[in-house]
Amino acid sequence: VACIRRRISRLALAALLVVASLAHADNASDFRDASSRRDIDALERIGATTSPWADDAWVEAARIAEQSGDYVRARRDLEQAIATSRAVGSPDSVLVHRAEGDLARITRVGGEKGEWGAVIAEEERLLPALQTPGDPREALRALEKLAREHPGYPRAAMLMVQIAAGWEREGDADRALAWLADAQRAGGPPLDRLRARADRIRVLIRAGYLTEAEHALGELRGEASPGLSANLRDKLDRAKLRRDVRWAMYALLVVLVAAAAFAMRRSAGSWRGAGCRLARPPLEALFFLPIAGVLILVASTGNPLVGRAVWAIAIAGVAISWINGALLAGSRVTLRRAIVHALCAILAVGAATYIAVDRGHLVDFLVETWREGPDP
Amino acid sequence: LLLQKGLMRALPLLSLLLLVSACDDEEESTVFTEDGGTLEIDDCDYSITTRYGAEPPRVSGKIIGPDPTPRVVHLGIVGDPKTTIVAQWRTVDETTTAGSIRYATGANLPADQLKNEKKGVRFRYEGTGGVLYQVHQAHVCDLEPGTTYSYQVGTGDHWSPVYTFHTAPDVTAHPDAETVFGFVGDSRGGHDVWTQLADQIKQRTPDLILFSGDAVTIGLIQDEWEEFLAAAEPLFASAPVVITNGNHEANAINFYSQFAMPGDQEDFGFTYGFTRIFVGNDSPDNPSALTAITPPAMDADFSEHPEARWRMLMHHRCQWSSGSRHGSDVALQSAWGPIVDKHKVDLVLNGHEHMFEMTKPLFGGQVVSSNQQGTVYVVAGGAGAELYGWDTVGAFSQYVESVHTAAVIRARNDTLTMETFRPDGTAIPGGVYSKTHL
Repeated sequence: VACIRRRISRLALAALLVVASLAHADNASDFRDASSRRDIDALERIGATTSPWADDAWVEAARIAEQSGDYVRARRDLEQAIATSRAVGSPDSVLVHRAEGDLARITRVGGEKGEWGAVIAEEERLLPALQTPGDPREALRALEKLAREHPGYPRAAMLMVQIAAGWEREGDADRALAWLADAQRAGGPPLDRLRARADRIRVLIRAGYLTEAEHALGELRGEASPGLSANLRDKLDRAKLRRDVRWAMYALLVVLVAAAAFAMRRSAGSWRGAGCRLARPPLEALFFLPIAGVLILVASTGNPLVGRAVWAIAIAGVAISWINGALLAGSRVTLRRAIVHALCAILAVGAATYIAVDRGHLVDFLVETWREGPDP
Repeated sequence: LLLQKGLMRALPLLSLLLLVSACDDEEESTVFTEDGGTLEIDDCDYSITTRYGAEPPRVSGKIIGPDPTPRVVHLGIVGDPKTTIVAQWRTVDETTTAGSIRYATGANLPADQLKNEKKGVRFRYEGTGGVLYQVHQAHVCDLEPGTTYSYQVGTGDHWSPVYTFHTAPDVTAHPDAETVFGFVGDSRGGHDVWTQLADQIKQRTPDLILFSGDAVTIGLIQDEWEEFLAAAEPLFASAPVVITNGNHEANAINFYSQFAMPGDQEDFGFTYGFTRIFVGNDSPDNPSALTAITPPAMDADFSEHPEARWRMLMHHRCQWSSGSRHGSDVALQSAWGPIVDKHKVDLVLNGHEHMFEMTKPLFGGQVVSSNQQGTVYVVAGGAGAELYGWDTVGAFSQYVESVHTAAVIRARNDTLTMETFRPDGTAIPGGVYSKTHL
């Protein structure tokens, strides 16, 4: 009898183990199915069991809830994950550690009662519209409304930074700067406000308000890290240098055009004569036109930024060769005069090239290519 | 008696000689040689090698300089991430040679509970202008898989704050394990944005950070590295960082000296949880390596690990991009793309183009219908560097946005997912990836 009892108890134990392992396998497959279907209810049902997948199921459910903007449910599911993991004495403390981190993050952003969930969902819906094809102004105005209606929103400062970036892309730097000024005063983590201040300096630099940028950078000193200060200082100094060079290039072009005009007037005898001479395409321009066309065609198949710059440089080249040709057409060319013309043409091409590269924001690109070599 | 007397008289002299010889040893250590070298690490089944421009690594010494306070603490991996970790740091002064790690099981433990201690290693490397920088490392190789540890580094009375990290799980014993990778690249001087993104990644408690290069603008400038590492210390001290050489790191000795990574630190693979990750250097000193070294290394690595549930490749330049600055790298597409296809790599992680872009699944350069049939290429080059735009969105592109971003990639036995977010943590709906293992 004892032997039979022992056998029965062993059989019962074996059956229990088989059932447990099957249950475990079922839970694994249920978890997999529910995760891939993003079925939050199914995941929560697995979470309510005592399987090893229970805490994982709560965590997955919390993620889906967060992604759908249901911060209340996400918090509740994370609390369940932590409690489940601890109750079964799970050695998976990594899961608990991570769930605690997620809970803190969700509470900070979504609010104690998940009250910011709707605002977050609206912001995340609108932000991608700022860069998709079409007019982003409607989305920008909706975001502005959202920022004004919810001044206590924990991400208010960064929402304003995003709005500012949108207006700057639309070419309205002043409106961008106004939003960045608001962002500096808005609530939120100090990191976000520092970002707003740094972004304001960047926009000031890009918009050409270099004196104001200098002032703002002075105010930032002491709050920004040395690296950030140095980075912004470098940007500002470069912008000042490029502005000076740009003006010098414009001035050079104006001087050269004026000199060419007066030389033409003197050579042709009257302004009308000069105009007539300019109206006839000289041989130099006819020679260069097809070359410029080929250059533009080839450049347009590559990098579009470079393509635009090449287009501008080629047009400037045609104009310079035209004027130069017209100047030389009606008079005897001495060696001295040819050298002077060549030098002036080189200066004009150089100035036009710099302006085209600078306007295309390609100076950094060229410097990088010079330093690092071209992309393979 | 005579012998005893003689010994007694000689004792002071002997002591003096010993002292002098000890000082000589320390003196020797101040002589810098730039040829690099190799050191077997005690209790670990690997060695570490320094490159030309750095001195050979050696066991930490005894010198405590004027300010040995640890700073820019960050973690790395050289061995099996289930059982090993490398803590790396620098000290305020450059003369301290002493350094150790204290550690114990558990999260956020008080310093007095860190009962295990191990001596570190250190070496110097030469920066611009002949300035020498000292790096300390501590290699711990007796850890338990899937376990949380607290640790601090330092010496004497100068110790870092206590940080917490996880080891990689043993997925055979724990098939329910999940690993979380932070993925980001191209910070390059945008320190305010980089600090925000590092904070956002930290809030998601990653196990490992994958950085796709261009952390700094000029790799030889140590100040830039200090700023980059200091801004991310709370993150990098809590999860090991694996970083690939970008064109701006430019293979500088500063880069290779400050990040402990497997193999030659250029082209290497490692397994973390369910995922095999291969890291390739697409900006090598010798351009022929792009075809002669990296592709066969990648091919061999993925071939040797058929058991990996997921495969990821990280390198800097973007194979597929709509960006107007660099665009798609056709040379890499033809040299590396076939190997990506051959091994059915799930995700390719790139930077270089300062924006976010995720492709549709691609195979053989063509768009395919699902993630099961092709590889998704992700460009997340917006960790702080000034953003770039795009002109025409390529037919291969799933989503593109000129935005500062980071991402977390979660790998489980059956699912691989990715979520992308902005510096304030707002999600980017177009930056979501999901794949279920069939």
